[in-house]
Amino acid sequence: MAQIVLKEVVKRFGPHVAVKGVNLQVRDGEFLIMVGPSGCGKTTTLNMISGLERPTSGEIVIGGQMVNDLEPGERGLGMVFQDLALFPHLTVYENIAFGLRVKKVPEAELDRRVRAAAEAMHIAPLLAKRPAQCSGGESQRVALARTIVTNPSVFLMDEPLSSLDAKLRVDMRTELKRLHERLKSTFVYVTHDQAEAMTMADRIVVMSRGVVEQIGGPLDIYRKPATQFVAGFFGTPTMNFLSGEIEARDGGLAFASQSLREPLGDALPADLAGRRIVLGVRSEHVEVGRGKTPGRVQLIEPLGNESLVFFEFGGDAPLVAKVDAETRLRPGDNLTFGFNPAGYHVFDAQSGARLN
Amino acid sequence: MSAVAGMTRAEAERAGARNVRRRRWRVVLRHAALIAWVAVIMFPIYWMIATSFKEKHEWVAWPPHWIPHDPTIKNYSQIFAFDVQESGVAREATEQPFNVWGPLVDSLLICTLSALVALLLGTFLAYSISRFNVGGRHFRHAILMIRMVPPIVIAIPLLMYYAIMIPLATETVLGTRILLFDTRLGVSAIYIATTLPFVIWMMLTFIEEVPYTLEHAARMMGAGRMYTLRRVVLPLVASGMVVTFLFVFILNWAEFLLALTLTHPDVVTLPVLLNKFQSASEGRLFGPQAAIGTLITIPVVILGVLIQKHLIKGFSFGTIRK
Repeated sequence: MAQIVLKEVVKRFGPHVAVKGVNLQVRDGEFLIMVGPSGCGKTTTLNMISGLERPTSGEIVIGGQMVNDLEPGERGLGMVFQDLALFPHLTVYENIAFGLRVKKVPEAELDRRVRAAAEAMHIAPLLAKRPAQCSGGESQRVALARTIVTNPSVFLMDEPLSSLDAKLRVDMRTELKRLHERLKSTFVYVTHDQAEAMTMADRIVVMSRGVVEQIGGPLDIYRKPATQFVAGFFGTPTMNFLSGEIEARDGGLAFASQSLREPLGDALPADLAGRRIVLGVRSEHVEVGRGKTPGRVQLIEPLGNESLVFFEFGGDAPLVAKVDAETRLRPGDNLTFGFNPAGYHVFDAQSGARLN
Repeated sequence: MSAVAGMTRAEAERAGARNVRRRRWRVVLRHAALIAWVAVIMFPIYWMIATSFKEKHEWVAWPPHWIPHDPTIKNYSQIFAFDVQESGVAREATEQPFNVWGPLVDSLLICTLSALVALLLGTFLAYSISRFNVGGRHFRHAILMIRMVPPIVIAIPLLMYYAIMIPLATETVLGTRILLFDTRLGVSAIYIATTLPFVIWMMLTFIEEVPYTLEHAARMMGAGRMYTLRRVVLPLVASGMVVTFLFVFILNWAEFLLALTLTHPDVVTLPVLLNKFQSASEGRLFGPQAAIGTLITIPVVILGVLIQKHLIKGFSFGTIRK
């Protein structure tokens, strides 16, 4: 019913190509999150779905209908903006009623629907106020109420939580997810915050420089990033990357850099020997105290339940490992470490594509 | 411990007192200078008001009469007189009775009409320049350049068009002669043309304050361009429109050169009327002139105060979170 399909969608702004041929299927009732660094084309893609931007080429199909030439208001979408875009001169009530007034909904029904939407977002006491008199969280709810009141089949959200403080942002995440459960509408959500994407999405679209890097469930993307970019974008702390090349050794393949020689197991095809690669290992797969390679602690960051240890070992950049909070290490201490081969991510040094 | 090592508490207090005294002196000096400047600026206005209450022999008395010796409202009765002959205040040497009513109506009509039309046109033009980049990147500066042409340069060419070319052209093409010379419409038209750049420039700054996303939000909810303008953009720039209207009104209210050139004898605006209170036989009629001058100044002062109030309101709608 509200499936969205993007076919080879391109958007140019003068000489600059913001979106370079995106193909995407948003399933009905799905919570899809587009994530990427600023300038990756995610907001432009969202704006093309909404109709605020016209694609330079390609097709956008919503619910089986080609909508390229349809006005935004005719597409049956609701949108929450980054700055919320509440009308400052109208009361909260009139803000929520705006879309219904445009559609000339009869006064009695309008009143009933506005109050129901306000009730659902727990902002009934605010109806007579102006947006300027509402707190950040309240404004957020007003913006959501204004969107749900028209019953759109698709919700588009452009970084709606970015203006909230950290605590409120986490609370609103839960609330948005609950809203999605309740409405069962399609959500397309844009953010640059990977944690937001991981916690809320059914599926994540990772974009970079106008192209889709990977589409998949949050855990798929975390466990099997398709490119080095995706691997580096998801997870805190950032994944460790080691440049080196693949050597054939003892009948298997091994990773070799200036200071390290690590067997890679048998997950890789044998013809990769001699290839320049980047080996990615997340901090939880760096095992301090297990292996034989020596290193020296630079920095400890306690997180409470565990700690991050930054140490150098003779490579280009220091490595980071997640260790138990009880581990007694201090800057300057010597340690030995090894990798858990289950956590190896092998990327081509040139293209960044995953090889294992 | 005092701030400077080795200084006793008493010394520190004395230094502090010296500082306070020096600062107080600076304040006194600054205010004295400002008061002196205000006196220089305000004196002619005082003189005009004082003269409007003076008898004829006091107008140019020497040494000057700083305040009217026998205050009179004769000057005002003359300019407000309906029936000049009857009220006995007709000008002694000429047959030409002058009162302020006709010119007051002309001025009010012309200034209101032209400011309203210019505001309407300018607001929509500014909107299209702001949102659709009409005219390209440098258009908004090009608009202001029009204002750099001194009015005296265009006054005579305009007279040619008003008096000859436009009547001739309309008679030939339309069969009926459209007169712009010496009509309220003609004066209004030139006022609209000359103030439009100001309106566009002022409304641009107000409209650019309205975030695009508000219009996007309205569009997403199905509102058309005109609906969005009416319900979202115009209410948000309303106080800006009031300020602009008053500003343009004042400009036109005080305009002299074009009104003088493009009218005679039917349409008379107040500044032109002011100039008519003189003749070869009796010289300048400073009393009635001063009365008219005072009359013209009153709305300007009132509107000025209004603008000030609205300007503060106009620039304070930053209620969108950024």
